[in-house]
Amino acid sequence: MAFRTTRWVLRYRPSQRLVHWVHAIAFFVLLLTGLALIWPPLSFLAAGGLSRLLHRAAAVVFLLTPVLYALLDFGGLRDLVRDSFTYTREDLEWLKGFPGYFLGRTSHLPPQGRINAGQKIHHALTILSYFTISGSGLILWLGKGSLGPTGLLIATSIHDLSMAIMAVLTVGHIYFTFVYDALPAMTTGYVTEEYARMEHPLWLASLPSEPPYVIEVREAIPETPEEHIAPLEKEAAG
Amino acid sequence: MAQLAMLIDLSRCLGCQACVIACKAGRELLPGERWIEIREVVVGRFPDLRGAFVPHRCFHCAEAACVQVCPTGALYKRDGFTMVDFGRCSGCGYCAEVCPFHVPRIVDGRVSKCATCLDLIQAGQEPWCVQTCPAGALQCGPREEILAEAQARAVALRERYPNAQVYGETQMGGLGVILVLTEPPEVLGLPPRPQPLPITVWKGGIQPLSLGAIFLSALTSGIAFFIARRRHLEEKNGAFARSGKAQASHHPNRKE
Repeated sequence: MAFRTTRWVLRYRPSQRLVHWVHAIAFFVLLLTGLALIWPPLSFLAAGGLSRLLHRAAAVVFLLTPVLYALLDFGGLRDLVRDSFTYTREDLEWLKGFPGYFLGRTSHLPPQGRINAGQKIHHALTILSYFTISGSGLILWLGKGSLGPTGLLIATSIHDLSMAIMAVLTVGHIYFTFVYDALPAMTTGYVTEEYARMEHPLWLASLPSEPPYVIEVREAIPETPEEHIAPLEKEAAG
Repeated sequence: MAQLAMLIDLSRCLGCQACVIACKAGRELLPGERWIEIREVVVGRFPDLRGAFVPHRCFHCAEAACVQVCPTGALYKRDGFTMVDFGRCSGCGYCAEVCPFHVPRIVDGRVSKCATCLDLIQAGQEPWCVQTCPAGALQCGPREEILAEAQARAVALRERYPNAQVYGETQMGGLGVILVLTEPPEVLGLPPRPQPLPITVWKGGIQPLSLGAIFLSALTSGIAFFIARRRHLEEKNGAFARSGKAQASHHPNRKE
């Protein structure tokens, strides 16, 4: 049996992964139950008020995720906020090369640290729209019955626009995750060293090259020819 | 069916509340729910009192703000009336926020307002409130006829009530309830010129724009994914790095 060794780099700690998925699940429940009031094919979800109940339950979770993050991992939250609003000349250069990055190439980009310029903008917009969507949502919830037409129109307009920004950001977020195989970062917490070298070389260089930051995984390479190939070979020989 | 309307002649209303009860019993409303309220309005100083019994109920606006904001289509227009499909109501309460007459309420998690006795009208009967009124203050019929009747009554009332006038001909695109007033509307607590809202900015602008942006980004990403994925694997497996194009575009600060 042959073996192959892959080096993996720790990208997100367990607490960060937990916060990410709590936030993500709350977000998708909110998005779906919210779209029920905008997109007619989903309006059946709203009948009877079930979607409103779910929307409010998820809203509480969504609102509290920054608090959860602060309690579990204050350093992580601090780094996120600081990095999201700190921009350098390299970031500008990275953004100029964004079209190429969008279509799968990284080698033309200046080397990036833990978070690239695109992720910074993504995080910054997510943080800002967190406040606009939460503020307008709380006004719609707590002010129900006393908003008046103008209040309702302003609050729902801000709420809808924030939703659109967050939803489009999420589409991009999922897109880049699957183009660049980044999903393991949020499941196991580790990314391949190859990914780190292509996407975040400065960050990789800053990490100590030892567990738990960098680990080596030995996995078996299946014997060839594989079982399902054998009959085909026999057929070809016959 | 042609545009229908109801007539409410305030000069004849006794304030007896019979319509309130007939509506509540006939439509089998929930406890605490009522689709008609009668408010007694009195102004001036004794003995020079003026006033009327003013109905507080859905006036069935042609350009109904509640219908325009309703996210689920539970409120809709039919034959000049504002109808309610209670099964589709989500209880969001947007209708209650925007109604210029402050009529819709949320009762038991759903909208509560006149849902129109269109079933009775189609069966050749009159709405519960109309058939119960002992004073002949209420009528129901084609809007043209109702409007003509209201104007005739207003003219006839001028001798006794100099301010007698018709309300509802033009307000909110024309109401489905035409009122014969004995006093100017502002005296009776009715808005003389209720303003339709710029709802199209939200429902016709922001919402379609938001949905469009989401679907467009999903579509673009879906198509770009196949190109980006192929190019990424190419770069990762080194096929791209060996080409001359890669040398030209390689960033000088990158070491690999």
